[in-house]
Amino acid sequence: MANYYDIDDVLAEEEILPVVFQQAADCFGLLDSSDDTNEVEAGAKAELPFWLARDLHVRGVVAVDVPPYFRKVSRTRKEIEADAAHVDLRGRCQYFYELGLKIAPLVGDKTIGPFLLVAFQTRYKEVLVRAHTAASAVAPKHLTLLTNEEAKLYEAGQLSTAAFKKWRMGGPRLQRAPVLGRKRKPIE
Amino acid sequence: MYGKKGSELVKELASSEPGQLSAFNNDLFAQVIDECTGHLHHLGSLIRKIEELKKIEEIKKLNNQELEESEKQLLKAHNSGALIHHLSLLRNKRCLMAYVYNRAETIRSLGWAVERVLPEEIEEKLSGSEKEYFKNHAASLQSYMSELDLDLAVDMVPPKDPYIKVRVLEDIGNVLLSDQSANLARHAILFLRRTDAEQYISQAIFTLMLW
Repeated sequence: MANYYDIDDVLAEEEILPVVFQQAADCFGLLDSSDDTNEVEAGAKAELPFWLARDLHVRGVVAVDVPPYFRKVSRTRKEIEADAAHVDLRGRCQYFYELGLKIAPLVGDKTIGPFLLVAFQTRYKEVLVRAHTAASAVAPKHLTLLTNEEAKLYEAGQLSTAAFKKWRMGGPRLQRAPVLGRKRKPIE
Repeated sequence: MYGKKGSELVKELASSEPGQLSAFNNDLFAQVIDECTGHLHHLGSLIRKIEELKKIEEIKKLNNQELEESEKQLLKAHNSGALIHHLSLLRNKRCLMAYVYNRAETIRSLGWAVERVLPEEIEEKLSGSEKEYFKNHAASLQSYMSELDLDLAVDMVPPKDPYIKVRVLEDIGNVLLSDQSANLARHAILFLRRTDAEQYISQAIFTLMLW
């Protein structure tokens, strides 16, 4: 299990999943503010964040439905098969891989794992090449297609290139503390 | 939606630059805590209802009767309701903890960078207890270093030359350094011992000049 305090893990569990209620639940009206009743009927459809859906699913209160982008027959899968590197995964789910990892054991779909692996393998190569060759720090358009995990890898790639350059050319060892912020006082 | 505010708090943390502090979001923090109190209230009332139903069940059992179908349904609904509130409480707690913990990590790293005194623009971003935390952490760092008789905050790579050339960025007047007393006027260019200059560079009072 991931670190309890890990920001990315906390946010990954916020992703919304479609669920169907298997039994009525009390005091649930707050979920959608449009109705005043305090009850949700059995068979009602709702969208719940993963952290809530997981335990409710385990206890049989709701049944989790696989989000469309993980389904066996879906456009996402076809697109990944065709050209994984240029699929907009960020638009589908910011924590595509994390969520996939969490949801696969929950719904018992054995095809999700290999699917994620294939997607990651093909995209990783592309991410790395771009990170190492990117000329400037300006975020390229390509970055908007990446999920959060991939964006982190991209940044790490860029940092390591920068560190390598600094090591080869010899940069200054002493610098102002980065916590103080980057802004310089205007020089009069 | 339950838990939305808590995740907003964490999102704020995620979107800020790594290693930088943003102002402590007192407002949102208090709102999340309010939400927790609300959940606790609902949870308490649901648990009372469940207990009442259980009592009825026991009484009926003594008379060899079972709960009516509608009562069973109600019990189930209460149970899942209580579960939902319980989970929301846990979730909010995790969000709050993650927020505080990750800020504390940044604050600890401050202790290495700026030593004892915080610059004003950073200090105003901290909450009261965070200020206290920084003070204590910096103090324990200092006492550890003085015990070792070693400044652990200096550069790990040994210098080629003990002296370096720096330019002063801010007027701070006369300062007593280890081997001389220097007048740190703005734009002055000085030739100082590296160990003296390091802390001023990390506080952005000096800038290093290349030869």
